[in-house]
Amino acid sequence: MAKKAAVEEKGITPEELSKEFKEYSVAEFFKRNRQMLGYTGKVRSLTTVVHEYVTNSLDACEDARVLPDLLVEITELPDGHFKVAAEDNGTGIPKPNIGQALGQLLSGTKFMQRQQKRGQQGIGASYCTLFSQITTGKETHVKTSVGDYKVYECDVSIDINKNTPAIRNEKEYSGKFKGTRIETELAEVEYNRSAFGVYEYLRRTAIANPHAQITLVEPNKEITVFPRATKEIPKMPKKVLPHPLGITTSDLVDMAGVTDGRKIGSFLEKEFSRVSSERVAEIQSLMPKDPKTGKPMCDFDRSPKSLQWAEAEKIVGAIQKIKWIAPESDSLQPIGAKELEKSLKNLLAPEELRVIERPPKVFRGGISFMVEAAVAYGGKAGAAANQQNGSGNAGGAAGGETRGEAMRFANRVPLLFDAGACAIAEAVKTVDWARYDLKDWENLPVSIFVNFTSVYVPYTGAGKLAISAEEEIVTEIRQALMEAARGVAIYLREMRRAEEQEHRRSLFFRYINEVAQCLHDVTGTEKTVLAAKLKKLAEENTSLLEAQEADEEEGLEELEKAAEKELKGERGEDE
Amino acid sequence: MADKEKETKNEPKTDLQKSKEKAKLQREDTLERLVVLGEHLIKQINDGQNPNISIPVRGSRNVEFDTVNKKIVLGGKVAHRYFFNVAHARRFMQTLLVASYAKKDLLEGNLTATLRDLYYAKKHTIPGTKENTIEEQKESDLAIVDLEVALDTFRERLHLRAEPKGRMAGDMVIQDRVRDKIDTIDLSHMGSGGWAVPSIVEQVEFKDLDAEYVLVAEKNAVFDRLNEDEYWAKNKCLIMTTAGQAARGARRLLQRLSQELNLPVYALTDADPYGFYIYSTMKYGSMALAHESDRLGCPAMKFLGMSISDIEHYNLRDVTIKAKDIDIKRAEEIKQYDWFKSKPWQAELNKFLEKKLKAEIQALSSKNLQYISNTYLPDKIKSQDFLP
Repeated sequence: MAKKAAVEEKGITPEELSKEFKEYSVAEFFKRNRQMLGYTGKVRSLTTVVHEYVTNSLDACEDARVLPDLLVEITELPDGHFKVAAEDNGTGIPKPNIGQALGQLLSGTKFMQRQQKRGQQGIGASYCTLFSQITTGKETHVKTSVGDYKVYECDVSIDINKNTPAIRNEKEYSGKFKGTRIETELAEVEYNRSAFGVYEYLRRTAIANPHAQITLVEPNKEITVFPRATKEIPKMPKKVLPHPLGITTSDLVDMAGVTDGRKIGSFLEKEFSRVSSERVAEIQSLMPKDPKTGKPMCDFDRSPKSLQWAEAEKIVGAIQKIKWIAPESDSLQPIGAKELEKSLKNLLAPEELRVIERPPKVFRGGISFMVEAAVAYGGKAGAAANQQNGSGNAGGAAGGETRGEAMRFANRVPLLFDAGACAIAEAVKTVDWARYDLKDWENLPVSIFVNFTSVYVPYTGAGKLAISAEEEIVTEIRQALMEAARGVAIYLREMRRAEEQEHRRSLFFRYINEVAQCLHDVTGTEKTVLAAKLKKLAEENTSLLEAQEADEEEGLEELEKAAEKELKGERGEDE
Repeated sequence: MADKEKETKNEPKTDLQKSKEKAKLQREDTLERLVVLGEHLIKQINDGQNPNISIPVRGSRNVEFDTVNKKIVLGGKVAHRYFFNVAHARRFMQTLLVASYAKKDLLEGNLTATLRDLYYAKKHTIPGTKENTIEEQKESDLAIVDLEVALDTFRERLHLRAEPKGRMAGDMVIQDRVRDKIDTIDLSHMGSGGWAVPSIVEQVEFKDLDAEYVLVAEKNAVFDRLNEDEYWAKNKCLIMTTAGQAARGARRLLQRLSQELNLPVYALTDADPYGFYIYSTMKYGSMALAHESDRLGCPAMKFLGMSISDIEHYNLRDVTIKAKDIDIKRAEEIKQYDWFKSKPWQAELNKFLEKKLKAEIQALSSKNLQYISNTYLPDKIKSQDFLP
């Protein structure tokens, strides 16, 4: 099943997405492909919408260098529709950009930045607008201000034939508001606190973003605040030119369309890191020859605007054959071990917690990435849907008991779906947990945390649900998990020892009266005197006795075996 | 009771008096052992030590074969069962429960009880807990074994009865005592079922005897066949069935017949490793009960049949059974035992391992029903065709 899903997932790559745009209307495309983008299942569709808004909000706050204060409000309307409101205190959207940000597909500004960002492909928030439009026919309402005491509000929809934004009911007035609030109405969605729901999504987002404070208002009006754990705003990730090894055909085509470069050769040199004129020549020499002319099939002196999809594909192929200098790794923006520890303590209050931050590594021969992992035991660790179930929301995971959870993140964004195909899930599965006394972690109060950080996350598909299980990545994650688990194992063993001591003592106390009574029966010695002496012995010697036990085990085992055999022999074999 | 004893002081003692006095001495001896154990534990407690009971280790690692006296005996290894030890504590407590029961309820009141009686008498919920002193009878049974070896005594002396098993018939009169009553029993008039061998036979006295040997069969069916054929009358012998692995009462009785009456004892089992092992247990004792070989072994016993050689000799090839893997495994095991190391037995076991065939005694019925009584047994005994 999982395998098949992964194949389907792979079926639509960003390249194909943009290709299909040219062939179908946007609406038709969306109807055909909504499952690829996470709009499948009622609960999941709602989570996907919240995900798009929240990642944009966090990025906006980061750009504004403010501590994020996010509010997510889910309201159930009388007709069964749901209203989602998402509010942040970030940069706000400049008036001219609103249409592009919320009413046009594949036009996100992040796409060209090559900065490590939560949302990468610029297809997020506009799809929410479209989803609302398709399911309810309603427009999406925006209120935003860049902090200049001017507040701007409007309703946005998409002209689905032209893929252009349509803006109505514009209002502008003075006010203190700064940031963005988006309200959208949806049908074909459902709210609950399951492992795939909004609650769990925000809880995990809070864990991976300790500087953010997130407030959730659920349809039953219950308010949950995931409090901020640190006031440190993460460093701005360095903006870097994309490394050629991370580029896809669609990226190349899109970039060629907007570059200032005059020729394909200079475009490559200008827009990518580590590309020199020598490298351009090398790429050119690796291009297949045109069978008629015998010349390389793509003339690098042509304008980049004329670059065809097939040519771009060949360029990407040639790039893969060349040995490149690795990209700079200081463009990575991990959560940080200290911050992550604060965050997990803040939200899980575990008995024991180990956080591991591994040094940067590379995959695919040159793309750097970094793994942060944590294992938390006890306290509120374990699946949250079960612990915080006071609201009476229907459809949570198996109620009551605490179960172990493995939380997956890519660039701090929780991955809730498609665990089967994911590198993190694969690593979790292949760790020998028994070695760390956590064999049964799935039924213990355990939270496993993994954050994969990279400028290029190798998602298994456009829905960005799972990280491709490449060997270097899986190995690195497994190492991190093992390191974290070791620390927890030490704690567990100590705890078990203390428990055993207590068990030992209570065991002796239970039998003392029986033993005293029997000795009284046999010898006539006063029972209470015997019992008092035995109690004193038990109090004083528990640890001393423990050492003694080890020496005696063998003899005892021998006794037991012989005695069992004896009884068997005695009962005989009947005819 | 004391008055009665005074009255008869100067007169010769009756069988009943003699029997009761002997039993009383034994009781006092066992009580003394129990008290000594109790006092020993109390001394350890007073000295601030971890109270423990010394128990000779049983099982293969502490068992030797005494080739001179032909019995399996216990080596010198001793283990200790501590109260303050998580793995021992519960059993330590249970062992003391058995001691308390044996002293207060059985020996002091001169009563005997079964293992199950003891189990029910001492099973109770420990006050303030949800735990029972004894959960299953197996636990108290194991505690009994511990106590008997710790006291260097046996359960009959603790007045605990095992399940009786085994029946006997033949030309012999015995006396058995049930508390104050002596019964005289003629084993030649016990009908089709024979005399049931009790679990405790210490008090049994042998009186008139007109028999030249004892024939002990592993199987009830063989006993019934021989009894129906009046084999014991025609051949001047005693016949007994152990009904599978011999019970303690039956083994003790065989030993007494062999040692007190000097009767040869011949064993009759199936021709397979299990049959051979039943024989060796009656003769030499067992590894698990090595501490009781003195009291339960019967070193003079001989193996009459069925042997693997008999299969050929009596032409029983057609009625053999193919040996199973577990039979082969067992044969290989017992071939290694010191008490099977004699040449004839090694040859016998090799023959079995080579042919991989076994036979039941009842295979003889393929000739005719009375073949065993009229031909096989007289033939074997006449030619003294035995295995050691």
